[in-house]
Amino acid sequence: MFKHIFDDLKQSVVAYRLWTLLGWLEIRQRYARSRVGPFWLTISMGVMIASIGIVYGTLFGQKMSDYLPFLSISLVMWTMFAQTVQEGSLAYINGGTYIRQAATPKLIYIFQVVWRNLVILAHNFIIVIVLLFVFGVKNWEALPVFVPALLLYLLNALWIAMIAGLLSARFRDLPQIISALIQIAFYVTPIIYRPNALTRFSFIVACNPLAYLIELVRAPLTGQFPSLLTWAVSIGMAIVGWAVALVTTGRYLKRIPYWV
Amino acid sequence: MAFIELKGATLDLPIYDVQGRSLKKQVLRMGRRNKIAEDTDGVIVVRALDNVDLRFERGDRIGLIGRNGAGKSTLLRTMAGIYSPTHGTVESEGKIVPLLDISLGMDDNSTGMQNIRLRGLLLGMTDAEVKEKIGGIAEFCELGDYLDLPLRTYSSGMRVRLAFAVSTAVDAEILLLDEVMGVGDASFMHKAEERLADLHSRAEIVVLAMHANSEIRRVCNKALWMDGGRVRAFGPVEEVVAAYEAQV
Repeated sequence: MFKHIFDDLKQSVVAYRLWTLLGWLEIRQRYARSRVGPFWLTISMGVMIASIGIVYGTLFGQKMSDYLPFLSISLVMWTMFAQTVQEGSLAYINGGTYIRQAATPKLIYIFQVVWRNLVILAHNFIIVIVLLFVFGVKNWEALPVFVPALLLYLLNALWIAMIAGLLSARFRDLPQIISALIQIAFYVTPIIYRPNALTRFSFIVACNPLAYLIELVRAPLTGQFPSLLTWAVSIGMAIVGWAVALVTTGRYLKRIPYWV
Repeated sequence: MAFIELKGATLDLPIYDVQGRSLKKQVLRMGRRNKIAEDTDGVIVVRALDNVDLRFERGDRIGLIGRNGAGKSTLLRTMAGIYSPTHGTVESEGKIVPLLDISLGMDDNSTGMQNIRLRGLLLGMTDAEVKEKIGGIAEFCELGDYLDLPLRTYSSGMRVRLAFAVSTAVDAEILLLDEVMGVGDASFMHKAEERLADLHSRAEIVVLAMHANSEIRRVCNKALWMDGGRVRAFGPVEEVVAAYEAQV
């Protein structure tokens, strides 16, 4: 069982040409006949940040020079996470025609989703860079921490996508359930509001693992070092999550061709 | 030395209906006491292969015969490593290239060139191999400038040409073919036959599922008769095909 999953993991990593290509084709075909191409993503994300920023920044009585960078990082990172999980739940289902054709490693279909969303993240990240440039970087020393934070963030998105994809291949009503859950998660996670703003029901933030994940990647860019607790929760989630994802995927790896 | 060996390979295919596909239904079912009066769990299991013992060696050209639903395609998929057997083992050595449904597994919105690369990688070519062979593939399928257009603009004949050209460009030690005849127009048909013959001669093992017995007699030296997921007969092509024809 473990041998199978580690073999698959290894072969999937080696076949990086395949999943990067699959990911690219998907992005390109979505924006195939438009002149600005994938930069439509950047534009729509920019419009969203501007409108939410102006409305909620005013509602919450925030200073725009602080709030806009905060919001842009939160939204861009959250979008990446939410899309990865959501598309991850469809990874094997959509890859079905390929899976029934050739004995490819299976995890490439999950990697493909994560790769695609990483490319989209890079496009959206332009907005963050522009806003940081306009409003100034708070703390240059905290900035490099973003790199390991992003890696850890990706690792967490990966295992969630692995489990979502596997279960969704078997239970076809799961993608809908997952997208509903993501919608709820968006509201209970401090993305458009600050974590400490929720004074009365602070447990909603304190007990929400996603709040720690988003804080992990947001803090370095807004000039803070993520707290020890944030690191601990994120690393803990990654370890436990990967263990669970590998065991379940390993257990059902051979069933995937029957399911899709 | 290429070989494929199946030992006691049994394959149960689960077939899910809408109920079996639903997490909601499965959860609701757990709370019910009277299971007899209730619906089934929405899963029907079909035994597609039943205790198959086989060994194919280098030089074998095997024709797979049997009625529809006898397990021919499932056997090919099992040998290709797509399905793994529920019981028993499948062992093999050598690069296996399956040509099962040649029109599937292509991306409609990508150009012909991109599809060559995609399909090549899917069939296990390395990037360098794809680069090396892409010229030959383009030449063989005779699609010319159409290769820069997206696949959705292709006619079905053009798709088959492209798929056939890529799939047959892979260097295979073990070649698994499922009813791949009937590609394109008359002139391409001729080319395709030559190409297949060339592939046959290069591969160490060829397994060919087909309903045309005359073709099997011509190309194969052994025949395998599948019936209801079991091996009905396996041996020299003349004997087995004659027995099969006598029975039908």
